[in-house]
Amino acid sequence: MAATTLDRPGTGAQATPPDVQTRVKLFNRICAGVLIAFALLWLVPLAWALDTALKPNAETTKTTWAIENPTLEAFTNTLQNTDILKWYGASFITSAMTALLTVLTASMAAYAISRMRFRYKNVVFWIVLAGIMIPGQVLIVPQFREFSTVNLLNTFWAVILPQVPTAIAVFIFKQFFDGLPKELEEAARIDGASRFRIYRQVVMPLTRPAVAAVAIFTFVFTWNNLLWPLLVLTNPDLMTIPVGLSTVQGAFGIRYADTMASAILGALPLIAVFLLFQRNIVEGIAGTGLKG
Amino acid sequence: MTGVPASPPGSGGPVLSRRSFLRNAAAVTGVTLGGAALAGCSSPVVSGLAVSRSAPGGLDYWNLFGGGDGVRMQEMLDGFRKANPDVGLSAVTLTWGNPYYTKLSLATIGDKPPGVAVSHLTRMKNLVKADLLQELREEDLARHGLTADKFNEQTWKAGLVDGKVYAIPLDTHPIVTFYNTDVCKKAGLLDAGGKLKPLDSEEAFTEAMQRAKAVTGGFGGVIPINNETATPWRVFWSLYSQLGGEMLADNGTRVTIDDDKATQVLDLLSGVTKSQLMPSSIDYQGSVAMFANGQAAFLFQGEWEISTFQTAKTPFSMTLFPNLFGGDRYACQADSHTLVLPKQPTDDPELLDRSLRLVRSMLDQSNTWAAGGHVPSWRSYLDSEDFKKLSPQSNYASAADAAAYDPEGWYSGSGSNFEIVTGSAIGSAMSGQQSPAAALAQMHDQLGTLAATDSPL
Amino acid sequence: MATQTVGRTATDAASRPPGHGRRNEDARPAIWFLAPFLLLYVLFIIGPALYGLLMSFFSTSLVKPGLGSFVGVDNYAEALQSSAFWTSLWHTIWFTILTTPPLVVLAFVLALLADRVSRGRWFFRLAFFAPYVLPSAVMALIWIWIFTPGLGLLETALGKIGISSPNWLGDESVAMVSLAIATVWWTLGFNFVLYLAGLQDIPRELYEAAAIDGAGPWQQIRMITVPLLARTTTLVVVLQVIASLKVFDQMYIMTAGGPNFATRSVLQYIYDEGFTNFRVGYASALSMLFFLVVLAVSAAWFILVRPQEKEA
Repeated sequence: MAATTLDRPGTGAQATPPDVQTRVKLFNRICAGVLIAFALLWLVPLAWALDTALKPNAETTKTTWAIENPTLEAFTNTLQNTDILKWYGASFITSAMTALLTVLTASMAAYAISRMRFRYKNVVFWIVLAGIMIPGQVLIVPQFREFSTVNLLNTFWAVILPQVPTAIAVFIFKQFFDGLPKELEEAARIDGASRFRIYRQVVMPLTRPAVAAVAIFTFVFTWNNLLWPLLVLTNPDLMTIPVGLSTVQGAFGIRYADTMASAILGALPLIAVFLLFQRNIVEGIAGTGLKG
Repeated sequence: MTGVPASPPGSGGPVLSRRSFLRNAAAVTGVTLGGAALAGCSSPVVSGLAVSRSAPGGLDYWNLFGGGDGVRMQEMLDGFRKANPDVGLSAVTLTWGNPYYTKLSLATIGDKPPGVAVSHLTRMKNLVKADLLQELREEDLARHGLTADKFNEQTWKAGLVDGKVYAIPLDTHPIVTFYNTDVCKKAGLLDAGGKLKPLDSEEAFTEAMQRAKAVTGGFGGVIPINNETATPWRVFWSLYSQLGGEMLADNGTRVTIDDDKATQVLDLLSGVTKSQLMPSSIDYQGSVAMFANGQAAFLFQGEWEISTFQTAKTPFSMTLFPNLFGGDRYACQADSHTLVLPKQPTDDPELLDRSLRLVRSMLDQSNTWAAGGHVPSWRSYLDSEDFKKLSPQSNYASAADAAAYDPEGWYSGSGSNFEIVTGSAIGSAMSGQQSPAAALAQMHDQLGTLAATDSPL
Repeated sequence: MATQTVGRTATDAASRPPGHGRRNEDARPAIWFLAPFLLLYVLFIIGPALYGLLMSFFSTSLVKPGLGSFVGVDNYAEALQSSAFWTSLWHTIWFTILTTPPLVVLAFVLALLADRVSRGRWFFRLAFFAPYVLPSAVMALIWIWIFTPGLGLLETALGKIGISSPNWLGDESVAMVSLAIATVWWTLGFNFVLYLAGLQDIPRELYEAAAIDGAGPWQQIRMITVPLLARTTTLVVVLQVIASLKVFDQMYIMTAGGPNFATRSVLQYIYDEGFTNFRVGYASALSMLFFLVVLAVSAAWFILVRPQEKEA
């Protein structure tokens, strides 16, 4: 999918006329200029946050980009005075577990719906589809009550479990499975392999793109979820990064460098995920978008 | 995504190597961070995944003190740690206001409350009604020397709920008058001893503001209004209580505003900003800055800002909030910080003892706490010579006896919806966005709705 | 899809039991495959949904066990008559109005520009999409700092060109706009990527043919790009609207619903009523009403998309 610019000679019967070519070149230059301007503008907030975090707290009252006494003390302050390392741990565990469980349960359910024949299959499928309609936020009140009754509040399970049954993940996997050719499975079937073995050894290895997309998206969304963990994780030891950071504002007051340092530290893991998995993320979005 | 790409769509050599470099760098960072995180928090991992209780021998303490108070509290906590090395104290600061109380309530409901928590006296009563606090029994308190006679009588009585003890008062923090001594001297507002002549009538007040404004060239005084509901409420409630007015009755189920008295106060407050004796648009930090650099000679605010001005080396002193209307019946808005013990899921006498040890330690360090401007409730310090000499705190120590706490209701208390509703209305009158009459109507309307709602407690 | 065997004799069809069993033959393994998901689904999605519906008819309190007293439709009546509910709904709609056009149009324009540029696309993707992966708390802290009166970057920058700033987060009439600005910065990247992918699917030949016919870039965009991206645009708009309806994080951290409740969204109102005021029964009724609103929007999209699908 190499990009082409429009000032290359066309592959059609005629080349584009020269005056149109220059007009197009100029237009493209302007486009590039505007785009670069916007991109730089978009980078400003993060750059400014980093700039502030590298200043000593007292210097943050001077609103300039120049740093007189660059220092890492804001970062060390944050690491020492907050539980940010614990927050990393909590976020990592809850996000990884949720991603893992989601991929497992959703792909298995989708495999059943896609490949197996059983009565009430359509009913099940429609029930799952209906779930896409229910926004999670509508459920926070009864879910909280539920967890409170069984004494599971303030545990990671309270964060993980409600986020696992994602109807959309089932949907994505089902679409994917539907698109897989059935020959390999049929062959394995004839060889007498159980359904589960087929699922595990034949189908899933082929499902890597969908697994990657679902895993990464679930990881990111679970990581960034604020409202639900805010409610169930009131023990500061267990807070995830978003919840922990939401308490920083009150605790740090006018120590702006420290606040920005904690923001930057809070952002690092996901920026890392983004840099590592850029292509998967982008393909994931593109895929969902175009297939509707 | 429905197809299986045979190979990643390549975009050329250089890009691939940059991508793989980024990949490796990010992977290394990620693994290191993840490893560090996991290594540094193995016990939360366990407690997060298992339904277990907190570490034995430990004590969790929650408070809402940021800024100068926060620093002082840390000092006192360090004092406790030094004297009690056997207790693993873990202290957490959460955001002041509704978020703090919501988190505290949710933690108690979720069976993982802290051992000790700070609570405003006005909010404590609602926590009791919601059955979230432990009753403190006489014998337990006596073991740690926390008997009623050791505390300021008014404050102790104010903290009782149906005659039972649920909270130990740490301080009373009233709204006070900060005044710039240099400016007031030049304006002829100080008496022979260098103290502010009492502003005991509306006329005296207005005149003082005018004289001060003439000297500062900016404003006479300042009260924060923008994005701030607590201070307008506190100023209003002080003056209104001096007039003898009330707002709520029957535990918040009836609105009993005396319209005449309320209008009188609102007229005074809106008039003072209209005539530009005080700014009509200024937020909390702005008001502090304005007083600190002498652009306003008076600041009406809680006493906790004392450290800010000491650090800024502003020439200032403090005294009681003006008694414009009260005569003999002086009143000023105040609340008290108390220490409470949330209900624990299991009976743990050792945790109870550790908690009370922390409480006692905080009281014993009342001198540190009072340095932050608060009026201590612990009599052994309050009555001492040291405190009497502590200036300017001793100037307004009597406010603890004249404290007008917020009216009771399930939706009331420091930082509550009640304060937000009333404070916004009063603030909008002061900023000129609404007329006093409209602001009063807004209060009636919104408080009426709150009052009509059944209490969930 | 007819089954095919690979290098085997076609014995499979004959060896399966004929008749009724076929429709339900996989029932056993299917149950095992479906069970984990369905169990969690019923426990944490369907169950709570029904429980929430039940609670909405009672005056359940968070700090008291059980359901509380039965109040019939009183909670719904209170919600529909409550000015706090309608204002929070209005705030949410206002937020949607403020954020959706920029997030759709600007993303489209930037994607168009990026599509024309041949090199360095990774840079633009990074610049626009990096904010999207940030947790809302990080975004909030950064923008609170930028909006800080007196010390904030925005005020200083605007001051340099002679524009005086309002109190971005403290002024009732401006606060929502500030939140919208921060949100646009935060989430534009997603739409940008979506549009970019859609643009790259448009065959170059169409543009070349139009260029040969003398169509300038403007006309090419109007005649070719916009119509072909209609489906993507509909998707972007609907996703955007639904996401805006569910807004909570920004308000909670940046303004706490203030000043004077001016930025309180529906979800935040539900949170306040349910968890700050403990009125869980009432909050459930509010949640049900909110669900109906989201459902209505989704239904509208469904109706919009169906004819588009038929066209395509």
